[in-house]
Amino acid sequence: MCLAIPMQVVEIDGFNARCAAKGIEREVSLFMLQDEPPTVGDHVLVHVGYAIQVITEQHARSSWELLDEVLGGERPADA
Amino acid sequence: MSDDARTWLARLQALDLPRRVRILNVCGGHERSITQAGLRGILPANVELIPGPGCPVCVCPEEAIYQAMQLALRDGVILLAFGDMLRVPVNVPKDEPRSLEQARAAGADIRPIASPLEAVQVARDHPDRQVVFFAAGFETTFAPVAAMVAAGLPDNLLLLSAGRLTWPAVAMLLDGQAPGFDALVAPGHVATVMGPEEWAFVPGQYRIPTAVAGFSAGSLLAAFYSVLRQLIEDRPFLDNCYPEVVREGGNATARRLLEEVFAVGEANWRGIGPIPASGFILRERYAAHDASRRLPDHTDATRRRVGEMPPGCDCARVVLGQIYPTGCRLYGRACTPRNPVGPCMVSDEGACRIWWAGGIREPEPGTAA
Repeated sequence: MCLAIPMQVVEIDGFNARCAAKGIEREVSLFMLQDEPPTVGDHVLVHVGYAIQVITEQHARSSWELLDEVLGGERPADA
Repeated sequence: MSDDARTWLARLQALDLPRRVRILNVCGGHERSITQAGLRGILPANVELIPGPGCPVCVCPEEAIYQAMQLALRDGVILLAFGDMLRVPVNVPKDEPRSLEQARAAGADIRPIASPLEAVQVARDHPDRQVVFFAAGFETTFAPVAAMVAAGLPDNLLLLSAGRLTWPAVAMLLDGQAPGFDALVAPGHVATVMGPEEWAFVPGQYRIPTAVAGFSAGSLLAAFYSVLRQLIEDRPFLDNCYPEVVREGGNATARRLLEEVFAVGEANWRGIGPIPASGFILRERYAAHDASRRLPDHTDATRRRVGEMPPGCDCARVVLGQIYPTGCRLYGRACTPRNPVGPCMVSDEGACRIWWAGGIREPEPGTAA
């Protein structure tokens, strides 16, 4: 359950954000990034619907390659 | 394999290694990456990778699952849990539901969720019902749970906490007679939230080489190289091989939220027993949302095999890194993901399920430690 998915912030409304990964959009809470608020276009690591850390685009990309290998066909919603 | 991984592997293979080195990991995600990438097969034969206490579902107390089932069956609450929890068996007579999934089939309103945000939504959608979020998880997961609580809960949403801290389980192993490992790979996303410093006690007090790792083969091999080199040079320290995500001090907001919402106290680990300072307990100010304070206690200390693993299941020893999954006599025989006996074969983070999914089929006895 400590699996975290890299996503890109698409839209921000207070602590709520729309984030996208692989063409899928999800509501993500930014409540845990109050000390380091991301902006639209930033990449974040998402665990159980909460962004836990801002990451670089490069790390987001390499993490996705890894997740594709490890997860195969599993959906990001299950993470 | 990436160039990065190849480089670390070549460096690692050039080391002058001791006869036998056992490296423990504490994260189901690490174990999954190790197994899927086949890292055991490419490392020198004297390096053993031992899956350790990296599965919160596996150590979730049997009594807590039983209690969650009874709240849904007898008190009519809507019971929410992460999907992994639903098939974990409890010890009950044959004619009773033995998992949340079976309780649901028997008519209880039990729903899998993937996020604390969904728990809040379900409670809002059903203002006339009592909703209980039965949450198991380590620090990474409990920071979001703390965020959910701190952001303000609907009146009808209660939390049944089975949250656990990872480092106290490692401390318990190190304080035991035979820790069973020579080096530690510390969990990447726990360290993202809590900061890598939490693990400094392992090299500091116990002189066990330690490195925080990410989830790519490159990051894991870098961590293995680091701890092996620390061991050879007799220079244990805390290395961070996941610096792109794990930063000094962790996520300050997350730590503040955890501190605000949860006290830390002794907690039971299934099949292992109580571990000091290892459980997240809702603070007094949130007592109105604490299912363990507000709702009837259905735990029955006289129930047969209360708190234990299922009969014949060696999950507790797998969790403690004392045996490999293949060392359990049920592995691949009576116990498969389709018909799991123990929690280690149920959860995606359980070592047995990961090994099975990785194609390891030999039900030979093996000893890790």
